[in-house]
Amino acid sequence: MAMVPHLRPVDPAPSGAPQTLIELAHAGVTFRTRTGEDLTAVEDFNLRIQDGEIVSLVGPSGCGKSTVLRMLAGLQEPTNGDIWIGGGKRRRGFSEVAIVFQRPTLLPWLSVLKNVLYPVRALRRTTAADRARAQELLEMVGLGDMGGRMPHELSGGMQQRASIARSLILDPKILLMDEPFGALDALTREDMQLDLLDIHASTGKTILLVTHSINEAVLLSDRVAVMSARPGRLQELIDIDIPTPRTHETSAHPAFHDYTRRIRDNIFGPNARSHA
Amino acid sequence: MSPAARKIVLPILAFALFIGLWELISVSLEIPVYLLPSPSAIWEGGAKLGTSLFTNTAVTLKTILLGFALSCAVGIPLGVLVSVNRLTSEAIYPLIVFLNAIPIISIAPILVVIFGTDETTRLIIVTLTAFFPIMVATATGIMDTPQEMLDLSRVAGAGPLTEILTIRLPHAVPFIFGGLRIGVTVAVIGAVVAEFVNANRGLGYLVTSSTAQFAIPTAMACVVMLAVVSVILYEAVNWTHRLLFGWSLRNDPGK
Ligand SMILES: Nc1ncnc2c1ncn2[C@@H]1O[C@H](COP(=O)(O)OP(=O)(O)O)[C@@H](O)[C@H]1O
Ligand SMILES: [Mg+2]
Repeated sequence: MAMVPHLRPVDPAPSGAPQTLIELAHAGVTFRTRTGEDLTAVEDFNLRIQDGEIVSLVGPSGCGKSTVLRMLAGLQEPTNGDIWIGGGKRRRGFSEVAIVFQRPTLLPWLSVLKNVLYPVRALRRTTAADRARAQELLEMVGLGDMGGRMPHELSGGMQQRASIARSLILDPKILLMDEPFGALDALTREDMQLDLLDIHASTGKTILLVTHSINEAVLLSDRVAVMSARPGRLQELIDIDIPTPRTHETSAHPAFHDYTRRIRDNIFGPNARSHA
Repeated sequence: MSPAARKIVLPILAFALFIGLWELISVSLEIPVYLLPSPSAIWEGGAKLGTSLFTNTAVTLKTILLGFALSCAVGIPLGVLVSVNRLTSEAIYPLIVFLNAIPIISIAPILVVIFGTDETTRLIIVTLTAFFPIMVATATGIMDTPQEMLDLSRVAGAGPLTEILTIRLPHAVPFIFGGLRIGVTVAVIGAVVAEFVNANRGLGYLVTSSTAQFAIPTAMACVVMLAVVSVILYEAVNWTHRLLFGWSLRNDPGK
């Protein structure tokens, strides 16, 4: 399978300055439905994401958030426009990208450690170094002693932690997360949100996070991209100017509430209607 | 009595009661042995065969096992082939359904003429009987693979073959074992049919030859032996499933 040679910035920027890692230019997806009609899920979507950023994608259900993620993951060809990742055109089997789904999607026939190793196994034989790295990642997500267990022996939150460890095994530059904490109970979710920030701080991954929680988007992101209802377009891009590192105290920051209200207005307010 | 013990003791009691009643009715109503032999008559009929009952069982068992192995070797890859790709599916599936629609008992004598009177023909008959449920179960399991698992392997860069071997086939394991359970029972029937039309040994042959000589209790003893073989093979498939693929026995609706 052809691989993109290596990551090159879209715009050669002076060293030290942030570099664009992901660019969607007029990207659009139109599905042909079973009844033969065309359904435009995403239309004229433009977004640039810098190396190391956390960007959240929020919007009404069915507005095309998952479709945007699937385009970046190479699971969905854009029917319009272009997508560049690190300067290369997006292709299938591009291991600079990893995806975390809402459900952990651990393979029930493999131990937790082997699940973490699965992306390696999909490409080649695993080595002792791979296994050591998988163990390290399990330790990073707090599952150091769970590698030998089978997935069903883990709670939902632990399973999702294992799936995050798995997404990091090929050391991708970009982590695509589709409502990764959406299926977890509130306490586990809060716990894992901060853990994700720790992982981001220690690995410097670029993260594109789909979430249906406006608070989560503001808490975690450098920028929040708000999408309009179908056809999904980028409606507004909001910089979250709250100092890092963020903690659960962050929601008490004076600006926090303004941001959540602005996003909420964007989704539900009269502005949202005029675009749709 | 503990539930576990009850699960063993109750069926044994019921079985013993069934045999006892059968014996009682045959003796008290004086039912002729050629209409319905009593359990004790069947026992004597079997005893008359001596060790040849067991050597013939071994012959039939060998046909069943080889034929069943062939059915797996044909059924599982075919199941993958018809489910993994639309083109192959649309091309081959109708043909296979047609092949399966042929009543095996009607084509068995013809197969003997084509392939001769040896073990090969019997194995072909067993395979034709047993591959279909295995194939259908495999195809069902392959198609049941959750989209997210496939997405996972694609994002990692797995090719189509890796995807089948590391995702689709393992996911299909519990389905395949469902097919194997049916397949192994059907293989017993296939072996008996094959021996009816073409054999000078084996339990199926003993049933026809004993019946021809009105030795009904002996024929019945062979039938009982066939049932025992069938049950043991069915359980053997279950043991294999539990032993090698224990993970697939739990039904986790969360996945
Ligand atoms: N494979 C597909 N075929 C047809 N329509 C699809 C397909 N995938 C998604 N859609 C449609 O595209 C729209 C956007 O879907 P999705 O990206 O999953 O939305 P979101 O993740 O924002 O809820 C929805 O209306 C959905 O029904
Ligand atoms: Mg979605």
